[in-house]
Amino acid sequence: MYPSMLDLRDIAQWRGGLVSHGDTEDKQLTGRGDPCNLLLPYPKRSLGQRSLLSHLLWEEERAATARENRLCAAGDALLGCHRSYRSRPTHGIGKFKYLLPKEVPKKRKEKVQMKEIDAGTEHQYGDINIQMTSYDLCLVEHFAQYVHRLCNRLSIRVNESYAMPTKTNEVLFMEERGSKMQLDAVLTTHQRVVQIRGLSSTFAPILLEIIQSSQPEGVHLLMKQHTEADFKSRLKSRPELEELLAEMS
Amino acid sequence: MAGHCGARAMAAPLRQRAAAGARGVCSAAAQRPWKLFGAMCLLRLPRITQPLEKVEEEMAALMEQIELEKSHYSDHEIRKLEEEEQLKKKKESLYDEDEARGKTVIMAQDLEEKWEQKFLQFKAAPRITDADKNNDRTSLNRKLDSNLMLLVKQKIGNQELWLLPQVEWQPGETLRSTAERAMATFLGDHIQAKVLGNAPYGIYKYKFPRAIRTENNVGAKVFFFKAFLQSSDLSQAGLKADHLWVTKKELGDYLKSEYLKKVNRFLLDL
Repeated sequence: MYPSMLDLRDIAQWRGGLVSHGDTEDKQLTGRGDPCNLLLPYPKRSLGQRSLLSHLLWEEERAATARENRLCAAGDALLGCHRSYRSRPTHGIGKFKYLLPKEVPKKRKEKVQMKEIDAGTEHQYGDINIQMTSYDLCLVEHFAQYVHRLCNRLSIRVNESYAMPTKTNEVLFMEERGSKMQLDAVLTTHQRVVQIRGLSSTFAPILLEIIQSSQPEGVHLLMKQHTEADFKSRLKSRPELEELLAEMS
Repeated sequence: MAGHCGARAMAAPLRQRAAAGARGVCSAAAQRPWKLFGAMCLLRLPRITQPLEKVEEEMAALMEQIELEKSHYSDHEIRKLEEEEQLKKKKESLYDEDEARGKTVIMAQDLEEKWEQKFLQFKAAPRITDADKNNDRTSLNRKLDSNLMLLVKQKIGNQELWLLPQVEWQPGETLRSTAERAMATFLGDHIQAKVLGNAPYGIYKYKFPRAIRTENNVGAKVFFFKAFLQSSDLSQAGLKADHLWVTKKELGDYLKSEYLKKVNRFLLDL
């Protein structure tokens, strides 16, 4: 009605009445559930004045929002909106994490044991270990690589492919021809394991046949399901820790 | 590898077909016009590796030479070299040092000579056995480097044919046990064979000649299963009919062409 009568923005108490942007103090004053900013600490005036002022308030508000709308509607994204877009020169001005030294999260021992049970019509094996042992290191390694690549080629998921620690055997000959002679031979046994998951039971015998027919001489092949015991056999036991635990309990 | 791809592609639709067939027959045995047979393809795995081809041999020799030139000396070789140097020094210098030590040292050279003698004493078994020379197809010792399959002469209808051992399916048993029964009837009960999987490897269906064909008896379907022979000793088994152990290439001499085609699809020959 009388837009020029009162400049409500000047009156500090009424400041919250207008939709102001980025003004945190006002937000605290008005409270959160108040989109129109109408719930204000009213100064003590008479009813009549109050209603007039409230009208003016509403007018100013609409004008302000209209102005706002006009600005935004003009398509000028820089003015009136305070979010920094990528085109704005000050975009990302507050970032600092890239300056800090990189923190590597502490890795704890993973005891991942995921086993799939045969389900329904389509039977699938869970984790299967293909273990290859031999005295000849090169041969067994090459065979393990061949099996790994074969599985990749046939799109069978290979969980991991690892080596078990080598076992050394000493062979002693005792020849008794008057003087005892001892001939020593040192044999090292190497073992490689390829772990597979998701082998369907229709395809399993075919895979087995392929691997068996391409088995080199001197390599023992063993296919078995992965168990916790297999997993534990890779880990070293700590006798001191066990002693301390025994003492505690 | 082509055989393997074929078998793999076959296995998936076959599974469904076999399942459908089994389910269908269980419910109404009289309706199905096809007779079902289970056949067993018994394989004896090769005992020795196949000889290398010329290219492979040359490659292997080249790689060995390269590795030899690139490799470091082993403990034994270092010891040998050191002892040779000591020998030279002893010859040049006086003999007092030898007597002073009074040790009997086993030289690396002596060890090598001992090992060589032992190696000469060792004799490897021959790759080509007697059975090969005689071309005796009934023995298992033939062709140690390739797969051998069992073929049996069976009477079907009026003809005597060479087939993989097969037996008719009885309602209430799985096809795999039918195949095992087929194996047992022809080779005796105590056969150590490992059947691969529950799904058949191949199927051959044929219609009976018009004379015998009736509404309920159109033809027959033969489901093939594979098994590996574990033990090589078959003397205990009672071989009733004529049997042969043949390789894949020799199959053509005995089997009929259609049958042969279906059988060849699932045979791996690596």
